[in-house]
Amino acid sequence: MDGSIGILPFPIAGEGTRARPRVDHKNSEEAALVRRVQARDEMAFREVVERYQSKVFSIIYGILRNRNDAEDIAQQVFAKVYFSLKSFDFRSSLLTWIYKITVNECYDYLRKKRVRKLVYESDFSQEDAQRMEASEPAVDSAVPADTRLAQRDLILKLLSKVSEEERTLILMKEVEGHSVEELAGMTGLNENTIKVKLFRTRQKLLKAAGRLTRAR
Amino acid sequence: MHREIRDQIEDVLAEDVRAASQREHLSHCEECRSEVRGMREQTALIRELRAPEGFAAEPRAGFYARVMERIEADGPISIWNLFIESAFGRRIAVASMALALLVGVYLVTSERSAEDPMLAVQQPLAGQMEQQLIVAGEDGPARVITQVGQSSAGQSSEDAVLADLVSYQEQ
Repeated sequence: MDGSIGILPFPIAGEGTRARPRVDHKNSEEAALVRRVQARDEMAFREVVERYQSKVFSIIYGILRNRNDAEDIAQQVFAKVYFSLKSFDFRSSLLTWIYKITVNECYDYLRKKRVRKLVYESDFSQEDAQRMEASEPAVDSAVPADTRLAQRDLILKLLSKVSEEERTLILMKEVEGHSVEELAGMTGLNENTIKVKLFRTRQKLLKAAGRLTRAR
Repeated sequence: MHREIRDQIEDVLAEDVRAASQREHLSHCEECRSEVRGMREQTALIRELRAPEGFAAEPRAGFYARVMERIEADGPISIWNLFIESAFGRRIAVASMALALLVGVYLVTSERSAEDPMLAVQQPLAGQMEQQLIVAGEDGPARVITQVGQSSAGQSSEDAVLADLVSYQEQ
């Protein structure tokens, strides 16, 4: 790798990029639901909670690996959704917006507890580690649980070095498994922009990893 | 990273490299190969943040009720939450309090010194002049005479010096 990393002069004009009609987030069934919540319809808010609670819960659990924390933060996420939904501008899908709030709440939690290390030193019990080892079809099952926890700690640290938007995008791509096309539809950005943002995020993560390795 | 790979990086990372030109490029460009390898490793790490398969991603029963309880307890977000919840806001609040404390202490002590005659005597007031005279003697040690007086009353300080010289000779 050389000094050219981080220099991306203009948006990618890939051959495979197709111009797709932009998703209209203002006129969807979801938008109608949001408008009902904005009009203080409590049943509509209940529907939002019931629709997204599993998703939110699994995002948080994926990051923190602690059920109690996941429950607590999920409540906090929906409380934030309740108070902030009036300013939702329909530029992205509701899920994307909630996803961003969820990831931010996880990072707030990590920051408040000065957690990077605590994630595996105290919140994770031996029992948690064993359960994780037993239940997860790991990418590499030969890697012991404590090494995997340390790797998780590292990637959480690295992800804290990029912007909220970049973090949300890369997680939606790699953790949720959305394609570039789907991300474009969900965020209201075009595919080229998504590709450029993802590429820059990956480069930033590589640089941050390099700095961290040199500092150790 | 070269543009040929960069433009298709998502496909390359997904190992969906259809174009022969990209495969060819990766086979001889160590720089691109190394960066792609790093990105692949990171992608694998990020995927570790997926909730485990088979994980029951359902909060405990009564989740909605607990959310509503929290909403009622939290109330609407106020401007004060910015100071209480964010680290930057807290620092601003602490710095402001420290500054207010310093200003308060300064005001109180400066007022007290102006009012207290004992404190006022200890320091020469503005407009007064402190004079120090060193009187060297032939067979005695040098003496320091300190005089505090109005600068305008130069005559009185001169008298004091003369009186002192007289008393020195008498000794």
